[in-house]
Amino acid sequence: MKLLVIEDETSLLKSIIEYFTQEDFLCETAGTFKEGIEKAEDFQYDCIILDINLPGGSGLKILEYLRQHKKSDGVIIISARDSLDDKIAGLDLGADDYVTKPFHLSELNARVKALIRRKYAQGTSALEMGTLHVNLLSRTVTCNNQHILLTRNEYDLLVFLLNNKERVVGKQAIAEHIYGDQADNMPSFDFVYSQIKNLKKKLKDKGCEDIIQTVYGLGYKLSL
Amino acid sequence: MSKPLLQRNSLFLLTWLPVVLLVCLFAFYVLLRLQGDHMQEEQLLLKQRNVLTTFINKSGNMERHIEGEYSIDEMKDSHFAVSHQSRDTAVYYDDQKKSVPFQILSRAYTVNNRNYLVTTYVSSTEIAHLIIKVFIAQFLILILLMMAIVFLNRKSAVFLWQPFFSAIKKLKEYDIKTNQLVELPDETGTTEFDQLNKTAAGLISNSNTAYHQQKQFVENASHEIQTPLAIIRSKLELLINQPNLTEKQASLLGDITEANERLSLMNRTLLLLAKIENNHFPETEAVHVSPIVEQMIATFQNHYDDFPELDMDLQPNVVLTANRSLIEILLSNLITNAIVHNVPGGKIIINLSLSGFLIENTGPPLDIEPEELFGRFKKGSHTTKTTGLGLAIVRQVCNLYHYPVSYQSSNGWHRITVSFA
Repeated sequence: MKLLVIEDETSLLKSIIEYFTQEDFLCETAGTFKEGIEKAEDFQYDCIILDINLPGGSGLKILEYLRQHKKSDGVIIISARDSLDDKIAGLDLGADDYVTKPFHLSELNARVKALIRRKYAQGTSALEMGTLHVNLLSRTVTCNNQHILLTRNEYDLLVFLLNNKERVVGKQAIAEHIYGDQADNMPSFDFVYSQIKNLKKKLKDKGCEDIIQTVYGLGYKLSL
Repeated sequence: MSKPLLQRNSLFLLTWLPVVLLVCLFAFYVLLRLQGDHMQEEQLLLKQRNVLTTFINKSGNMERHIEGEYSIDEMKDSHFAVSHQSRDTAVYYDDQKKSVPFQILSRAYTVNNRNYLVTTYVSSTEIAHLIIKVFIAQFLILILLMMAIVFLNRKSAVFLWQPFFSAIKKLKEYDIKTNQLVELPDETGTTEFDQLNKTAAGLISNSNTAYHQQKQFVENASHEIQTPLAIIRSKLELLINQPNLTEKQASLLGDITEANERLSLMNRTLLLLAKIENNHFPETEAVHVSPIVEQMIATFQNHYDDFPELDMDLQPNVVLTANRSLIEILLSNLITNAIVHNVPGGKIIINLSLSGFLIENTGPPLDIEPEELFGRFKKGSHTTKTTGLGLAIVRQVCNLYHYPVSYQSSNGWHRITVSFA
């Protein structure tokens, strides 16, 4: 999978690259508008992560250019939170998704994977891990071919962890993934703990034991 | 005690003009008197000459005494003392039965070696009457003049000070938060008022700039802080994924992550406050309040295992014309506040009506002053994950839409009321 990250903040760019390289993506980077538009022009990417505020021009212009030239690369825009105008403009111009800064890398990863699945792998919309199987189209979860009934939040949580499997996902990232901006108003992340506890119990009942590990109170990790 | 300028000016004029006028009247009287005396002197002298000439021409064959006119007396002695000054005297008229004041002048003459004393008379009554009449006329004219001065002064003051009063009126309407636009004319026709307007306009523009910069500063600072926070967050995410993490390291990372999240939240909230203040939410729509509250309560009840007992009375059809996001933030902050600052086994009462939104919760007593509650970074209890900005945002939104917001507390209950007036 080829990924182009257009972001002017070097430090943030490095973090994104490191995270996605570990996810076996082939990553290219661009730090300016010019560099970004050149790379987007010359190569085909599965996904472009596009910052809006770039030295030399707006990221939206790159998106406009791509769509005008019938390039169908998946584009995820990253921009400052609450720039609602950017969000609307970006989606109007044909962006596939929009993530607000500051984001969690695990969140960005989940979005990229969802986008790639939507765009290129219709029909095989399923996530698997060991005996755990999640059908993303019918939103059903089975373990050892046994159906597991999950609440919406539990399902979202499981898919999020599956998208970031073998990785430690922070409590904050989970809270924000499930509740979005609402997470800001919560005085503690205890509810993440209780959601995980419920999910673990349901998985255990059907024989998928111990695939969710707690990492020293930092977060959770889905691994075999 | 300050009095209006016009009144002070009139008072000043009315105090000092009569003094000046009295002095003038006195001076006028003295001058008139002197002039009158001089005139009588001249008349007396003229009469003397006329009488003497006639006496010489007619060789003494003429009436020697005419009462009130003249008298010619022959003197034995040529060396008698005669005053050259005129004198006052009175002549008694039998027919009128009264004495009339006269001015007389006596001179000694020698005609054909005989000495005569010629005394001429001029009535003082006419000149006295004239002086009185002129004096009265003058007095009336001066009174009229004084009234005219005061009146004209008042009229011209109203007219001349008009730019001043209009500037005062405009400055009164000035408010750095809501009405920053004050238009003061550069040309008023009066140099002093031009200067006043220019100075005031300069001051206003400076304050506006400073206020604007200060508002922008918070927004810009929050905006700039976002990027480093985002970098820290991403690095922490990479760090917690490092292999062979020890428990000690993980615990340190956990603390750093938590602090960083708090900082991010605080920064986002400050940014939100600045944005509300800087009018970044101009779009308004008809917002139905009760479905928002219902949905929020459902979400919160889902989140919190220990959600307090709820007593909710929502009147449907409460519609506000406002920005939807801001109303959601307002309600969510109030509800969160009631949950977070509650006691175990506590209660929340929510009442929504056309007149306003009331939320009441049980909770420990405040350890800050109630009026500070809506200030920034004012925390009643030191719960870790609260920013102390929630109620500041509530107030900011309420200020924006002119909803009066109040707090009352009694018997372990805290009540916040937002009126949709």
